[in-house]
Amino acid sequence: MASASGFRSDLLAAIPSLRAFAVSLAQNADKADDLVQETLVKAWDKQKSFQPGTNLKAWLFTILRNEFYSQMRKRGREVQDSDGTMTGRLAVHPSQDGALDLQDFRRALKQLPEDQREAIILIGASGFSYEEAAEICGCAVGTIKSRVSRGRARLQELLDISGEADYGPDSIAAQVLGSNVA
Amino acid sequence: MKSNAGHRVSGSEILGPNSEIGRKLRQYYDEIASDEVPDRFAQLLSRLEQAETSTDKE
Repeated sequence: MASASGFRSDLLAAIPSLRAFAVSLAQNADKADDLVQETLVKAWDKQKSFQPGTNLKAWLFTILRNEFYSQMRKRGREVQDSDGTMTGRLAVHPSQDGALDLQDFRRALKQLPEDQREAIILIGASGFSYEEAAEICGCAVGTIKSRVSRGRARLQELLDISGEADYGPDSIAAQVLGSNVA
Repeated sequence: MKSNAGHRVSGSEILGPNSEIGRKLRQYYDEIASDEVPDRFAQLLSRLEQAETSTDKE
């Protein structure tokens, strides 16, 4: 099979982002690496079903995600849904320069329901489009959009960031110049 | 920014460079992605490849 080592090096190249996605989902480094390992084995077995020229990264993320949820079901853990109640706000005090500490951010991210966390990661960090993320998660594009926006709102709330959209250069300019400009 | 109105909505708009959450999200993610990849993965792929080439020989 002439393409095998090409496939192998493509898989190898995808590992860093697979690990980042796995840690984001599992919130645990060891479990994340087990997920990546399982994903590589499954991808290898299924490589004939991969259509060359299509998005390998999205294909791999789909396998990893399916593996994550199937392991969770096996462990009998109920998948959190967005409507699940999660009260309590982190005691986060932004440092004096206003910069948000990465550690605080990690803790806040961990508190998001899985569906919002994965959506916000796929869109905001992995670089997928809404359409690709919807494909990976097996849901509608509108569902991804609403998860991203709820996830972002929830993070803002947890981190006590109020109306950060107001800090964009355009809105600052609008405030300075008067609201009729915007 | 009226010039952006016709663009396809992407994550970069609500989680973009002007968004502290967007920046932290990428910092969080990139930090993990830039970790050194454990050898076990390269070894695993080599084993998978070897297994395949030995069964493919005809």
